[in-house]
Amino acid sequence: MTDHLSVPILNALADGELSAEQLATANHHLSQCPSCTSDALYQSLLKSATAKAGQRYAPTPNMQARLALRIREELSFQNSQHGDNAHPVVRSSNFYGWAAAVALLLISVGVTLVQYNWSRSATASAQYAALATEACDQHIATLAANSPPEVISSDRHTVKPWFQGKLPFSFNLPENLPSGTTLDAANLTYVHGRPTAQLLYSVGKHRASVYLQQRSDDKIANGLSSDHSGFHLVGFRTRDIDGIAVSDVDPARLSDLVGIISHAQE
Amino acid sequence: MTLLAWKRMERESGSQTSPFEELALPLLPSLYNVAFWLSRSSTNAEDLVQETLLKALRGFSMFESGTNFKAWIFRILRNTYLTSLSGLAARRTVALEDELNEKCEWGPAQYPEGAIDRQTPELNLIQMGNRATLQKAMEQLPAPLLEVLLLCDVEEMKYKEIATVLEIPIGTVMSRVARARATVRRSLMTIYESSREVSR
Repeated sequence: MTDHLSVPILNALADGELSAEQLATANHHLSQCPSCTSDALYQSLLKSATAKAGQRYAPTPNMQARLALRIREELSFQNSQHGDNAHPVVRSSNFYGWAAAVALLLISVGVTLVQYNWSRSATASAQYAALATEACDQHIATLAANSPPEVISSDRHTVKPWFQGKLPFSFNLPENLPSGTTLDAANLTYVHGRPTAQLLYSVGKHRASVYLQQRSDDKIANGLSSDHSGFHLVGFRTRDIDGIAVSDVDPARLSDLVGIISHAQE
Repeated sequence: MTLLAWKRMERESGSQTSPFEELALPLLPSLYNVAFWLSRSSTNAEDLVQETLLKALRGFSMFESGTNFKAWIFRILRNTYLTSLSGLAARRTVALEDELNEKCEWGPAQYPEGAIDRQTPELNLIQMGNRATLQKAMEQLPAPLLEVLLLCDVEEMKYKEIATVLEIPIGTVMSRVARARATVRRSLMTIYESSREVSR
């Protein structure tokens, strides 16, 4: 047997920070070493217990209201300062005064637009992260759940009709899947508060969830391609459907599956 | 019909709330919790959070879009804490010890590898869910170890995000996480032994 797992590796294992290669090595060692398995279990229990114990102090509703009000006051102050500066310039009657006012106005509009775009990007980034977390959480919950998926079938003619009357949209399931990929099951679920078809596939020995939703104005899933907690996420959009795929399989194989499902909607 | 567990994201009315408020207000409980742990006082924690929010709002235009807002605002909280009276006192107390230990952080582990038995006393304490005991052990951590544990375990930040918040290398984050847990473990053992002696 190889040497025992080091303390940093055990911690990184509990924190989900090991690379795929390190994780495979650690898992292989754990399968043969009761002592390290016990250590790993301890680290996980300690992490989980610390997470609970650390959630100790909560602000009172009054305090939250006070802090929110303070932010609002600061925002109003910033806005009023901006207004006061602009005011005298607009009242100026000579040509240079007007020119300066127009220039200031243009600069102010430009700055506002830039700030607006930055703020929108920041909000979109937060929404993007929330969506990725939710999709991953649901995928993990599905794999870990004791209750089986609601429809267990590899037959697309069984899975698709099951959603009739349960979703406010319809979708197509591809007839031919990439080599080594099979449809296993499906669930009706909700992602981002919207009704969603969750399709469960096996890609080799890996599992993948593909979430299909009615297309919305919300563009956050479109073009999503990232890693989250060791899972790969790929977003796609067709004329009527928004989709997100989540799996720990090789990103290229996940993209192949996404491509075929996306193409089936055309 | 049984539905899987799912989380609804609270949608706030965009017309009433500024982008800063949309990002910052949901983090208030987390900011306050960490602030209280670090400053050890409700009043100090509220002051710390308020100062953090105002600094963040005034510097919001400097926030790089596409980057992690949570890590950004926690970094402001942490820097605000470090310049506060309680933060300065904590730094004076532990800085030297922390620096010295940092040098040998990748050295031998502080307990023998694989020497943990499933039925160790501290494991039993955790299994019993003795939250108060664990909180007592956490209270004994020096600030640099406590903050890394809070960000890692309570705020569920990745090592990379923690490195951004604390402005330290990822290797240092890893070693501090390991040291923090080892210290909590030793404290649990001490608390357990004390309680056994008292009950005899």
